[in-house]
Amino acid sequence: MSLSETSEVGIRNVGASNFEPRIVGFLCNWCSYAGADKAGTAQTPYPPNIGVVRVMCSGRVDLQFVLSAFAQGADGVIILACHPGDCHYKEGNYRAAQRHRLILRLLKQLGIPEERCRLDYVSAGEGDKFVAIATEMVESIRKLGPLNNKIH
Amino acid sequence: MKVGVYFCNCGSNVSDKIDAETVKVCTLQKDKSVHFKTIDFMCSEEGKQVFENDLRDNNINRVVNAACSPREHEGTFMQAMSRAGLNPYLMQMVNIREQVAWVTEDREKATQKASRYINAALNRVALHTPLHKKEIDISTDVLVIGAGPAGLKTALTIAEAGRKVVLVEKLPVIGGMPVRFEELFPKMECGPCLLEPLMADVLHGKFAENIELLTLTEVIGIVGSYGNFSVKLRIRPRYVDPHKCVGCAECIAPCPESAKNEFNCNLNERKAVDFPFAGALPNSVFIDDQVCLRWKNQDCHICKDACPVEDAFIYDEKERIVERNVGAILIAIGSQLYDCTLIPNLGYGKLQDVLTSEEFERIVAANGPTSGQLITSTRAVPESIAIIHCVGSLDKDHCEYCSGVCCQEAFKFNQLLEHKFPGKKVHHFYKELSVPGKEEFELYRKAQRNPESKFIRYKEISDLSIASQDGQKSISYSDADSKKGTIFADMVVLCPAIIPGKDSKVLSKLLEVGLDKFGFFEELHGRTDSTQSKMKGIYIAGTCQSPMEIQKAMNQGMAVAGYMLSGLVQGRKLEISPVTASVIDERCSGCKTCVLVCPYKAISFDGVKGKSHVNDILCHGCGTCVAACPSGAIIGNHFTNEQIMAEIEEILI
Repeated sequence: MSLSETSEVGIRNVGASNFEPRIVGFLCNWCSYAGADKAGTAQTPYPPNIGVVRVMCSGRVDLQFVLSAFAQGADGVIILACHPGDCHYKEGNYRAAQRHRLILRLLKQLGIPEERCRLDYVSAGEGDKFVAIATEMVESIRKLGPLNNKIH
Repeated sequence: MKVGVYFCNCGSNVSDKIDAETVKVCTLQKDKSVHFKTIDFMCSEEGKQVFENDLRDNNINRVVNAACSPREHEGTFMQAMSRAGLNPYLMQMVNIREQVAWVTEDREKATQKASRYINAALNRVALHTPLHKKEIDISTDVLVIGAGPAGLKTALTIAEAGRKVVLVEKLPVIGGMPVRFEELFPKMECGPCLLEPLMADVLHGKFAENIELLTLTEVIGIVGSYGNFSVKLRIRPRYVDPHKCVGCAECIAPCPESAKNEFNCNLNERKAVDFPFAGALPNSVFIDDQVCLRWKNQDCHICKDACPVEDAFIYDEKERIVERNVGAILIAIGSQLYDCTLIPNLGYGKLQDVLTSEEFERIVAANGPTSGQLITSTRAVPESIAIIHCVGSLDKDHCEYCSGVCCQEAFKFNQLLEHKFPGKKVHHFYKELSVPGKEEFELYRKAQRNPESKFIRYKEISDLSIASQDGQKSISYSDADSKKGTIFADMVVLCPAIIPGKDSKVLSKLLEVGLDKFGFFEELHGRTDSTQSKMKGIYIAGTCQSPMEIQKAMNQGMAVAGYMLSGLVQGRKLEISPVTASVIDERCSGCKTCVLVCPYKAISFDGVKGKSHVNDILCHGCGTCVAACPSGAIIGNHFTNEQIMAEIEEILI
């Protein structure tokens, strides 16, 4: 079954009860992953729905990672990068931002609304911002409902 | 494959929130061959030992460590694995402390999440391959470009460690700008006196033999990378052997030809054979072949005849191109002042006696164009002087930043005037005042106490207008409170912003070291690594990196020496991390997308093979090229597509 076919199923399932969103977060090692660690050291709780995949740089986030996450049944994907100008690798976050726009266009063609794939910026010190973004992402995906996209 | 999952309780930090027994059950459900072990404090000496022994005792060949953040102890566990005889890259860490236990309120959910993460790591680690650090031979010699305070400090420090330095200076004189300044802030020390001991050590000190000083020299080519650069240098002829010239100056007076002296801001003339200025080091004259009659087809040899030393003059000296092999490079080429003609209302370049701070420095210098006499262009003694701060600074139309040194220079002038030329009226026009530091406030206080000082604050440089009137300069202004006024001065000193030097662009292109938005050499990190460029093995120090005063330039020079000494060690090879990208030739279509996206110029294109190639010495392992490659021809070692996809596969269950 292709992604475009399954997305139809997803749309029909919006509003299922007791729905716990499943989200994949791609976090760059130097800023956003460190920001998530910071939330940890501050012991600030957030919903457990985001599964974090660490990459060295947000510029490493391949289009196929995002597609794969949706194909595996993710209801949402979030890419977190260093703030513009702060990339550990100079400009990987700009590449991530460019690629994110491309991803959104592709997802649109597949019937996956762009709210399900976000890009944001979290610095190593912004534990609170990470918590806010994670919480907000989980809540917004909860409202959108499940995507039911898993390809078996 | 025998996988060991090590679950660190971290005292009760993890075990309070995550039930290890449930996790174990989940893990064994996924793969019943997994060896699961809990350890209390895995990072402790005892914990590491338990880990190491357990790896050996159970013939483990893949490891999943569920513990704290990999940013905390990945290195620790990798070392322990190496000690146990395992390749350290056959491990995946799972961050169950910072990103699960400490942030998940519900114990059951935390346990579920930890299990999920561990299963994802099991998926991933199965695809890990042993990776090995590469070791390459290196040259421990270094190249220092620019013999100002920063470059001299680095060169001498490296030489004192018994290491070879090639020190190149474009000019015939070393010492940079401060040797031309009569006095330096904040302690009013004489510039040459402050730098001469350092320069003497570089030229004739105990470790001078480790320094190859090449004046009139520029870098014109470079190949290679960190550890092994081969640089091409162009040495322009001095026509005088600096080792034979005794600096007696006998040749200068008889020389029939003169030209403007650029070392005195063109305020006076020098001979075709001359010193840049009195006291310039190396203590040797040079011949300017643009001025000397010998290069105008005349057989003049007056200077050689006047010289008491045999063979000091080498009329037939030719330009030479030489090559040197070095392991690391320092760029310390200094800066220049903002062009004041770009602010026409100040009259610079059109009105006499409107000077830049650099010109004023030379006028009050004993070895300057007026031998230190404070006189105007009409050789009159000025009674009143206006000093304009912030010229071109903090101004979106000129330079947005504050150079941070001009205020102190202005107050130094005030102090110098009060001491050496008492009774002069001094007007300070300023936009902002910047005098940070434990010693720096003193000169400002002295300027405030000087009964002849007046301070006028202005908002924009366009609020000032300088004109000539009755043999004086009139400065009409609208101050910060919009109050208008006019004062008169015999001399106006402009303190312009410090901007990148003329050669920064060329050198940036040549060495592939980036410039920031202002054109200064861009540092790796503004706070923690201001002396490393983003090109491995190329360092930056002094005002070519940012406006700064001598103290900081010297400190940066020392910092660079530290990097060079610890990074390049005799007898030690350079270790290259294996977490880099590599190209699979068969898949590469030669589109060069990777070459464009690499932030470190680590990817070159082999025109003959039509393939891209990653230089793993330069590669930082960010993986941007891996994601950008449309053919999937680049592998990001340790972060391969397959490894990351395998992780994604389980992380959602």
